[in-house]
Amino acid sequence: MHNSLDHANASRVLSDMRLAARPSQLGLAREYAHGAASAFGLASDDCYDFAYAVNEAVTNAVRHGGADEHGQIGLSVVADENRLTLAVHDYGNFVLPVPESDASSHGGRGFVLMAALTDDVQLSIGAWGTIVYLSKDRP
Amino acid sequence: MGFFYISDDPAPERGACDADVVVLIAGGEIDYAAAPQLRERMARHVESGARRMVLDFSQVTFIDSTAIGVLIGTGTRLQRTRGGSLTVICGKENTRVLRILDISGIDSLFELEYSREDAFSALATAG
Repeated sequence: MHNSLDHANASRVLSDMRLAARPSQLGLAREYAHGAASAFGLASDDCYDFAYAVNEAVTNAVRHGGADEHGQIGLSVVADENRLTLAVHDYGNFVLPVPESDASSHGGRGFVLMAALTDDVQLSIGAWGTIVYLSKDRP
Repeated sequence: MGFFYISDDPAPERGACDADVVVLIAGGEIDYAAAPQLRERMARHVESGARRMVLDFSQVTFIDSTAIGVLIGTGTRLQRTRGGSLTVICGKENTRVLRILDISGIDSLFELEYSREDAFSALATAG
């Protein structure tokens, strides 16, 4: 018989938080991400990279996303033995970044940075909003 | 909110460089909350006729994509409207910020120098 409990145990939700969808809260998002990466055991530079990527995702949520009825977005941390993932959940319609045609175009630079600084970036888009999953693997 | 500051350097040591260079010093974390301050400070100098601008980022620990957008916007504006330039100073030891600038692939839109000496001597040569 398939044991779904094993899978659930392998990948655990470590924490989650609600954050006011305001620019002034970005420092808090970086601290939260840095703390999660540090607790997971990543090296200092990797913690910085992870917090950087999360900052970009939260910035997108604050700029283009939508807050819930309380003016908030959601952050949650999931980890298994080898991979740490932080999900940024907003409630707006996803705005597709315009691919960069030349270096001076602004669109999509945040995603380029997120991809370069993490091991995996995934997007989940639905009527309920957008979730960006940012993952970093144990070296 | 993260710590951030920006100010004019009223009397920088310019070396062989002439007086036609505005020098700004920033420090701390430049995120989406702080980027408007950076944009406004730079825009004020562009509007009052600055042609060449030097941004000393030696004490900057974090620069997000929106702040990079401000650098690109101002650098492009200086180049296109006045044949001017934007120089960003970031020490070699500031590897985290240098790497972010490198990943962003924006080195054609402003000059990057490791020290003020390097920046002013490049500007003096450029004339």
